[in-house]
Amino acid sequence: MAEDYTKRTEYTGEAAQMKAAHVLLREVPFTPSLPELGYNNRTLHIDLTTLTVTEKPVTQQMKDIFIGGRGFGLWYLWQAIKPTTKWNDPENDIIISPGPLGGNTQYPGSGKSLVVTLSPQTSIPIDSNVGGYFGPLMKFSGFDALEIQGKAEQDVIVVIDGQKGVVRIETAPLEPSDSHVAAEIFTAEYAETEADRRNVSIVSAGRAAENSLIGCLNFSWYDLRRKATRLKQAGRGGIGTVLRDKKVKALVCRGPQVRGDMNHPADMARITKVATKLHKEIHDFDDQQCHMRRQGTAHLVEIMDAYDLLPVHNFQYGNHPDTKKIASWIWDARFTQGIPDGCWYGCSMACSKGADGHIVKTGPYKGHVVTVDGPEYETAGGCAANCGIFEPDWLLESNFYCDTYGICTITFGTLTAFIMECYQRGILNKERTGGLEMTWGNAEAQMELLHQMARGEGFGKIAGLGVLRMKRIFTERGWGDPQLLQDIGMEIKGLEYSQYMSKESLAQQGGYALTNKGPQHDEAWLIFMDMVNKQIPTFEAKAEALYYFPLFRTWFGLNGLCKLPWNDIEPEDNAQTSEPAKVPDHVYNYCELFSGITGREIQKQDIITMSEKVYNFQRVFNIRMGKGLRLHDTPPYRSVGPVTREEYESRAERYDTQMREEIGVNPDGLSVDEKIAITRRYREDRYQKLVDAVYTRRGWTTDGVPPVSKLQELGIDFPELVEVVKQHGG
Amino acid sequence: MAARGMAMIRVNGDPIEWHEGMTVRDVLVARNYKFPLIIVTVNSHLVRREAYDTTVVPDESSVRVVHLMSGG
Amino acid sequence: MKYLQVDFEKCDGGRHCNRECEVACSKTLYKTGDVAYSAIRLLPVKGQDGALAINVCNQCGECVEVCPTEALRQNKLGVVLLDKKVCVACYMCVGFCPTLSFRQVTGLHEPVKCIVCGACVKACPRGALQVAEKPQPEPLIAAR
Ligand code: SF4
Ligand code: SF4
Repeated sequence: MAEDYTKRTEYTGEAAQMKAAHVLLREVPFTPSLPELGYNNRTLHIDLTTLTVTEKPVTQQMKDIFIGGRGFGLWYLWQAIKPTTKWNDPENDIIISPGPLGGNTQYPGSGKSLVVTLSPQTSIPIDSNVGGYFGPLMKFSGFDALEIQGKAEQDVIVVIDGQKGVVRIETAPLEPSDSHVAAEIFTAEYAETEADRRNVSIVSAGRAAENSLIGCLNFSWYDLRRKATRLKQAGRGGIGTVLRDKKVKALVCRGPQVRGDMNHPADMARITKVATKLHKEIHDFDDQQCHMRRQGTAHLVEIMDAYDLLPVHNFQYGNHPDTKKIASWIWDARFTQGIPDGCWYGCSMACSKGADGHIVKTGPYKGHVVTVDGPEYETAGGCAANCGIFEPDWLLESNFYCDTYGICTITFGTLTAFIMECYQRGILNKERTGGLEMTWGNAEAQMELLHQMARGEGFGKIAGLGVLRMKRIFTERGWGDPQLLQDIGMEIKGLEYSQYMSKESLAQQGGYALTNKGPQHDEAWLIFMDMVNKQIPTFEAKAEALYYFPLFRTWFGLNGLCKLPWNDIEPEDNAQTSEPAKVPDHVYNYCELFSGITGREIQKQDIITMSEKVYNFQRVFNIRMGKGLRLHDTPPYRSVGPVTREEYESRAERYDTQMREEIGVNPDGLSVDEKIAITRRYREDRYQKLVDAVYTRRGWTTDGVPPVSKLQELGIDFPELVEVVKQHGG
Repeated sequence: MAARGMAMIRVNGDPIEWHEGMTVRDVLVARNYKFPLIIVTVNSHLVRREAYDTTVVPDESSVRVVHLMSGG
Repeated sequence: MKYLQVDFEKCDGGRHCNRECEVACSKTLYKTGDVAYSAIRLLPVKGQDGALAINVCNQCGECVEVCPTEALRQNKLGVVLLDKKVCVACYMCVGFCPTLSFRQVTGLHEPVKCIVCGACVKACPRGALQVAEKPQPEPLIAAR
């Protein structure tokens, strides 16, 4: 089908009139600069209450301890808020920082922005790693981070123009807030020519972000081939909700024409050497390995199904006969092929696939022709499989609306699956949902729920509060057994699970529950190592993995890097190395990249040391905000073992065998309920033993507190941190 | 469950039934191992990707199929 | 479409010449005698000790599809040209060139490739090089 992939509904018709309606509230000039050795050594602070724009210096201590990206975000957030601060208090801060390696155009996956704020869902810091051009363009305008504090009185935009050297705060009353429209219009408004569009990136949210707690941010870039603004999401934890609460409709950055040496690296040759090596590897092996260039992470759909890891019906089951309808080959055909789909220059992994020509079926954009950014694996797992909706067109529909309304597809998938299970079990019914028939597979009901969420109406309004609050509300209203709600509500710390089944992997139960921000797999994905390879059989071995991988992966977030080019492509000789799971050759590349850009020589152990400072800082931050102790690292039982009879019976042979061989109990003659109880006691106990082992390995107390000695060892024994941990027996 | 005395190999520690001429590919299919980033060893000898179809697994072998990681 | 054709019968891998093609190319493209800047190179042949062979772009156009900035385009003669103004030096074209003929040169922002200017053709003492024509291949931009 040689359809025209540039064909889509256009929204820029009235851009000029819309721009003319802006009122300038503040204009502050700055001197544009380029980084030296990866740092500009200054950041930009904006207070929307007072309409002040200030520059802050980056201190050597910040660079030494916090590196950049998520580290800078956490450090600034700590200064900005008090233990009593609520997410919608004006002092809450949204920090966007690309990190010292961010914006290099050579090494794949180097265009990430890290966003940190106090989460409306979890009441602790959330961090999110997102593509799109905003972070790098802001860095090449002259700033290592942007802080947005305060609250505007009316809808505003913040414009950072790195070509002209000016920051502006303007009202923007007419532009819609939904991202696929907003990003396109603002790009047209602030790019001076068609060729200039590539230098403009927009951060926006959308209507559902305004009316829920689960809002995400969309970061745009201009896709030259499609002639479209594309979007990547800082999804987790409700950052979009905070942005809209501050009445920011969009952040606009217009940066300079990008060149390859703008970080002014210490040694360009070291960077290009490892970068061209990786490009070649991707060229040579991606077709035999993950097909990231053709399918993005959607290549995982049928694989996860094959291993019983694709969440189906709210994480009850791990596979489904209809998975083939949303499998990778479907997306291979739907995605327009042959386009360099990197979310920043130089990413030859090019996983940011786009399904062009989707005709919207429902809601305010019904009939529009749109490009859907995705679906990625997580969206397919959450919005499709977990809700029992195995229809590609409906998946594109939910993907599109989640993005443009500015909510997280992972969160929306998990919370809708929870609602559907409540419906299945009679905890909810048509009357309680206000007429929505939330049965498995009902795509139209799922979409109506989403539209209600965007309008802030009906049951959608409740759903948009997330699983934690829904559990509370249902319990208060006397709907369902509170223990059952607790067991099947897939959230920890207030954040919904991402889309992998952890029931049969103890290490991954920890990989989800022992995270700083909540159950997102980006800290550790250990299921294959643990469940399939059986490489980490002991508590100590699992604890070692839960020490190493979260720290290793934290480092990407300190530096503005994407995780995917680390292990979604494998060098030819990886199998012959001593630790293939770590992909040693790529770890070497990262050391070269960091040393080559910053001039600070590092080796692989330094990656762990650098991360450990920030990781522990974040843990203490959680404790400071009232949510960083052992109690808060407890998973819902659904993620640990079978909650219901159907779940047990669906995998009865597996559970019976385990009972015989691991627990040492003969299951013959026991009722299903008895077997569930025995399995549960065993698994919950085993989880607690894992927690003990992990805390020991991380050097924390049995309550999960980094002691003062640990803070000293890491060089983060600042008085205010010491005070926090001392109060909790650290 | 295979009957006692039947020819067996172990794959990542689990026993599976063996048959004459069984290749690495047959083992992967039998176990439904669909993930592309794997490292296969048969009795500690590495088998390259290109050789999965042609490498025969002897009876009583210990096969390791180490899955690496990918995704989000 | 135009491309630089190598007659491997006539070129003996630099054994009886002074690598005039490389010198002519680097002089033409970058006004330097440093052959690292040349788009046409005599490179070691894998597995054959000491042997060299010409390596040069055949204008297949695969890099055009890969380039994120549209810095690479095929002109109407079929020659892939690089627009230095928009190139961001990502070197994806270098990693994705099927014949390894797109090169990154230390100290140079944009990568180097053959533009079929013909300087090497004139310089080659053995007449091994010529500007030739071949049929335009099918367009590479895939429909969905
Ligand atoms: S691998 Fe994908 S998500 Fe990561 S930087 Fe590249 S295009 Fe972006
Ligand atoms: S190095 Fe320049 S020409 Fe080559 S792919 Fe990158 S931007 Fe295009």
